[in-house]
Amino acid sequence: MTPIEAYSAAAHAWLTSVAPIYGSAARKGLSEADDLALGRRYLKARYEAGYGGINWSRQFGGQGLSHIEKIAFETEEMKFGFPTAYFGISLGMPIPVLMKFCNDQDFVRERVFKALTGAEIWCQLFSEPAGGSDLAGLRLRAEVDGNGWKLNGQKLWTSWAQHSDYGVIVARTDPTVPKHKGLTYFWVDMRAPGVEVRPVRLAGGDSHVNEVFFDDVRVEDSQRMSPVGGGFAVAMATLMIERYVATDSAGFGPHLDLFTSLAREAQVNGRPAIRDGRVRSAIARNYAMRNGLDAITARAMLMMQAGMEPGPEGSLNKLVSVRSRQKLSEMAIDLMGTDGVAFDPHASVKADWSTSWLNAPTGRIAGGADEMLLNTIAERILGLPQDYRPDKGVPFNAIPA
Amino acid sequence: MSLLYDEGQLAIASESRRVLEARIDVAALLPLLEQQGAFHQGWWDTAREQGWCGIAIPEAYGGLGLSLIELGIVAHQIGRSIAGAAFLTGSFGVARAILDHGSAALKDEWLPQLASGDLIGAVAFAEGQAVIPAKSAVAFADGRLTGTKPAVPGGAHAGLAVVLASDAGTPVLVLAALDGVGRRLFNTFDNARSTADLTFDATSASVLARGPAALDAALHVLALQAVITAHEQTGGAEALMEKARDYALTRRAFGQVIGAFQSVKHRIAELYGLVELARAGALHAATREGHDDFLRAAAAARIQATEAYDTAARDCMQVHGGIGVTWESGLHLHMRRTRTLANEQGNLLFWEDILVDQLEGVAA
Repeated sequence: MTPIEAYSAAAHAWLTSVAPIYGSAARKGLSEADDLALGRRYLKARYEAGYGGINWSRQFGGQGLSHIEKIAFETEEMKFGFPTAYFGISLGMPIPVLMKFCNDQDFVRERVFKALTGAEIWCQLFSEPAGGSDLAGLRLRAEVDGNGWKLNGQKLWTSWAQHSDYGVIVARTDPTVPKHKGLTYFWVDMRAPGVEVRPVRLAGGDSHVNEVFFDDVRVEDSQRMSPVGGGFAVAMATLMIERYVATDSAGFGPHLDLFTSLAREAQVNGRPAIRDGRVRSAIARNYAMRNGLDAITARAMLMMQAGMEPGPEGSLNKLVSVRSRQKLSEMAIDLMGTDGVAFDPHASVKADWSTSWLNAPTGRIAGGADEMLLNTIAERILGLPQDYRPDKGVPFNAIPA
Repeated sequence: MSLLYDEGQLAIASESRRVLEARIDVAALLPLLEQQGAFHQGWWDTAREQGWCGIAIPEAYGGLGLSLIELGIVAHQIGRSIAGAAFLTGSFGVARAILDHGSAALKDEWLPQLASGDLIGAVAFAEGQAVIPAKSAVAFADGRLTGTKPAVPGGAHAGLAVVLASDAGTPVLVLAALDGVGRRLFNTFDNARSTADLTFDATSASVLARGPAALDAALHVLALQAVITAHEQTGGAEALMEKARDYALTRRAFGQVIGAFQSVKHRIAELYGLVELARAGALHAATREGHDDFLRAAAAARIQATEAYDTAARDCMQVHGGIGVTWESGLHLHMRRTRTLANEQGNLLFWEDILVDQLEGVAA
């Protein structure tokens, strides 16, 4: 057993031991408030067991290990359905950025500890009604206000803002320069006067994203985490942190085994569906594709363990897996016939085809729409040209609306 | 067996690519399309000179004693070059059948000749839609074969074949030298594969396996070959993806290079995805030889590689517009090769069924 296999095995053993308390079965039927409270307790237990901030430096209360151990742990953890979603953004992006770009070390240490133990949650206030894929097109203003700043405007699609204590935010500090150059990065107190959070209900019925309004919200200059006008670079650094996360070739939907089981039970024209050529082809194609993704992931892990930089093909996972999950979910509902329309609003996206299907469009848009991922592959990997961009080099306030 | 190539494997990849790119060009391949039974002699001479015929044959029989991984690496480069006849895959399949099921005498007699390339091997299982016919139309009795195997890849030049035949209704896997066997060449859309119907007329043959074991052995030979072909298909798909990218970077229309249009650049980005999935699947399968999940890994590799090569050929020609459909461009060499490679050793329908049978836990 390699050291990393031993690490995974130990993690698996611990996760198994706490699964009855925090796992998917324990969460069944809980209200969101109770589920969140359970999640906070799970994070505390996870931290005390030595699995909090696995690849963060000890100086900030992390474990001082590498991203290899982090991915190994996440891969095991994913199997149990713990209530970790509320903390995914918080620990995934704002806190690592805080550790890297915030100068007040005592403040950072306290925030990191509270975030790792589930006591506090951070959100990331990037997207706006006019700036999602085109992040640099955002409009929320930060204007000089005495020795600090004043924020006015609106953010959109902010995950878990309704539970957040703090957030990181990108704001426009200079509208007279081209769009990427007039942005500045701050942290904000979500309880500050003038911050208003309104949940946005999504197609699947849940409301984990929000509109957040800023009305003359005061921010101190010490909350600034980038040079004035240097906010876009910090926002991009956030994306680099995201390179090393556990992936799921099922597109964060149900495992293919569930589809195969369904195909064994369901009937088409009086025969088991698994004898139907259309169903067989779908199973085979999905298996082959996921097998390829899994091999890409396994190879990336080996490269990291060998001290090499994994190849860019790792970026394919989200693009390929979520699309295929969407189509497979459609077919699964078909296979269930008249039973297929029944819907349980509390079912898990990993275990229920209708829930997987209803939430799949979100997966294809959030965190980089399919089209943006294809642009990235074409431009960064294959060297194809950027699209025509009429706003390039134009001062932000001169871009035609 | 690692998913990470070691230094020696990387050297095989770069050297085989270098030598193939230096010696093979489209102009030499085009005339072969119009001649039955012709193949690129320079390619075969190169394969023999470089020791590719013996890569996966043990050193005791004159081979290099390497694995599916190294043979796959070479097959990938051959796929890029579109130069290959079906000989390397065929000889490998025959060698493995002899290694796994042959007597010591058969191994001593045939394996050194296959390893050197003095002899070309062919795998003759399929009849029409039946990839592994349980009741073959080729009869085996008293040590002799009689009947016809249609469209055997490499059959025009092979000297030795593994044949799936029927002995009074019982399947038998036999080994037959092809001296004096009838070879009917016919026109195919990819004549350089040297495909031929083989007609046996009381041809002497040795039994390798009998009964259900013969069918299992045949499937295993196909699975081994499928991993090599998946590499070859991936190489072809990779070459096409690069051709599409290069053309999109130079061809201008409406005042800009066509690669700046999203409809074009996204098409090529999708090809990148298919190529990488096929590459990973093929390599994964090569590392699983000897494990319980080898058959499903081989089937998955074959399916993913077929999809990659088929799509790459369609889309690369589309990106090229009118120039892509000309004879001289040679893109049709790849297009023709997609379907011969998809057909040899079992098509998509066959491998999809094999894979689902495996996933169901039903014995194939």
